[in-house]
Amino acid sequence: MAEATAKKKERVHLKPKMHNSTVRPTRADKVFQIVVDVFMVLMLIIILIPLWSTVTLSFRPNTYIGTYLEGMFLAPWDWSFDAYKALLGNNGFLMAFTNSLKILVGGVFCALILTIPLAYVMSVKSLPGRKILTTIVLIPYVFDVGMIPAYLLVQNIGLMDHLAAVFLPGAISTYNVIIMRQFFDGIPAELKESARIDGCSEVQILMRIVMPLSKAIVMTIGLYYGVSFWNNFFNAMLYIQDSNLNPLPILLRNILMAAGMNEYVEVSAFGNAPIEAIKAASVFMSAIPMVIAYPFIQKYFTKGTMVGAVKG
Amino acid sequence: MQRKDAAITVPKPNLKREIVRHKDVYLLLLIPFVFYIVFKYVPIFNAQIAFKDFRARDGVIGSAWIGFQNFQDFFNSFYFWELLRNTLFYSFGKIIISLPVSIILSIAIYECTHYALRKTVQTLAYLPHFLSWVIMYGVLFALLSPSSGILNDIIKLFGGTPIDFLSSVKAFPWVVLLSDAWKEMGWSAIIFIAALMNIDVSLFEAAMVEGANSWQRVRYITLPSIKPVIVTVLLLKIGTILDAGFNQMYMLYSPQVYSVADIIDTWVYRQGLLNFQFGLATAVGLFKGIIGMLLVLVSNRLVSKFSEGSSLF
Repeated sequence: MAEATAKKKERVHLKPKMHNSTVRPTRADKVFQIVVDVFMVLMLIIILIPLWSTVTLSFRPNTYIGTYLEGMFLAPWDWSFDAYKALLGNNGFLMAFTNSLKILVGGVFCALILTIPLAYVMSVKSLPGRKILTTIVLIPYVFDVGMIPAYLLVQNIGLMDHLAAVFLPGAISTYNVIIMRQFFDGIPAELKESARIDGCSEVQILMRIVMPLSKAIVMTIGLYYGVSFWNNFFNAMLYIQDSNLNPLPILLRNILMAAGMNEYVEVSAFGNAPIEAIKAASVFMSAIPMVIAYPFIQKYFTKGTMVGAVKG
Repeated sequence: MQRKDAAITVPKPNLKREIVRHKDVYLLLLIPFVFYIVFKYVPIFNAQIAFKDFRARDGVIGSAWIGFQNFQDFFNSFYFWELLRNTLFYSFGKIIISLPVSIILSIAIYECTHYALRKTVQTLAYLPHFLSWVIMYGVLFALLSPSSGILNDIIKLFGGTPIDFLSSVKAFPWVVLLSDAWKEMGWSAIIFIAALMNIDVSLFEAAMVEGANSWQRVRYITLPSIKPVIVTVLLLKIGTILDAGFNQMYMLYSPQVYSVADIIDTWVYRQGLLNFQFGLATAVGLFKGIIGMLLVLVSNRLVSKFSEGSSLF
């Protein structure tokens, strides 16, 4: 009962309200509360300034004169959307965005279709050879031989210049397998056993019993994979030479590294927005799928991250 | 339950029959397993070129064995100490800065009584973890650029001379350490928040009755309560001490700051994939892999000894 009320309170305050109201807060307590609040506001400012400065920079009109510091206080009615118009009208940008979307969707699909069965099989306790399987899965996780041997593999199996080269090497993350297996381990064995007695095959048990119970973990792991594929620029840099296949992070890097825009493409291709605004706008556009998806999945990842993380 | 099952099917578990009974489980495993072998074990097989004079023409198997030559070349080069020093500097620096920051942040979030403020800080603090270092570079550029960055605007406002943070040997390490702390502090705080929420509130109540004020309660109840988690996190971080953050370094560094920025991973990348010294680069990667493996095994052993059920495997 006490736990239930504590849970309810937790929605408003993380720290449960204390039931004892006979002790009045002292001066030190009040100072403590003020220090906490001031610290939180300070944190908010520290987190916000870099993000806000990038956003305002991207809306800066071509005619703007003044320092960057003043630019942060540019009134919203003076904002210009030229940089975004220029980006969305640019074929290179749209192509990179499409490539990144393909990598995201294809990657998450492949990753889940490979990770879920592996994690599930590892959680079937009666399986002969389960110990050996666990060892086989863990060895490469502990023993990382670095990037060159992996590069040679991708080269040898002919994946160079395929979008799949960006996500296939990371399509089974051992860490995610372990987290997912821990979740499957927690599903009561009686459920699976009764289905087995009713004549369900393992595949049917996975699809009909285990999957419906595992939405949160599948969302969390899917999110982890999604973030890693969307953000991955290293694999793309190694394995993709064809500029038509470049995903967003590579294009973004090219745009950011170019001292002048014309090093990357002709200035005319991006219209008349200021170069700095184009850079900031492409930063923001690359982050936008993460920012949009983020509130929806936030509740899942906090739950998922805590799986097996802390006990007492 | 287990006993009942045994009574119905087989009195003594017979391995052959057990395998047949699980045949569809093995079928389910087939594709992920083959995939795992190809993408995780073939690279381990390929790592043999660390002991070879690798030539692309001869391939992994066909190249000539040269023993430990690649390793010797690396240990004898003057890069070795510089790379090791930089790698350890950034790994330990990140722990020293971000561990206290995320602990303090988690306690502040836990103690904060303004719902809206707490929720906003929590949401915004987790967000940067999901941004790639390419994006982070763009954000930092707007902040740090010598000609136009906000920080330099402030320096100029107070009459100072602008600093080129990203190419100054003195400022660069701070940029790396602080930007990492900024990006990851919220995410690292999650695990501490989880631990804080498990503290029995009656402890606080008892301390209050005994006359302990808020500061003393943090000092004598909150911190000791989450100490096991802090130690666990610390040990797990020490297990990956040779990973100083390739993506971050690769995006932020430039030849001017190589002397303070080059870590093992960036060096392996340049030697291997830009200078085509595959054998040498693989040897260094292998060296790092072996040390890393030992550290992970030791720290994991310590974690499972220290706090039951927190280790990864």
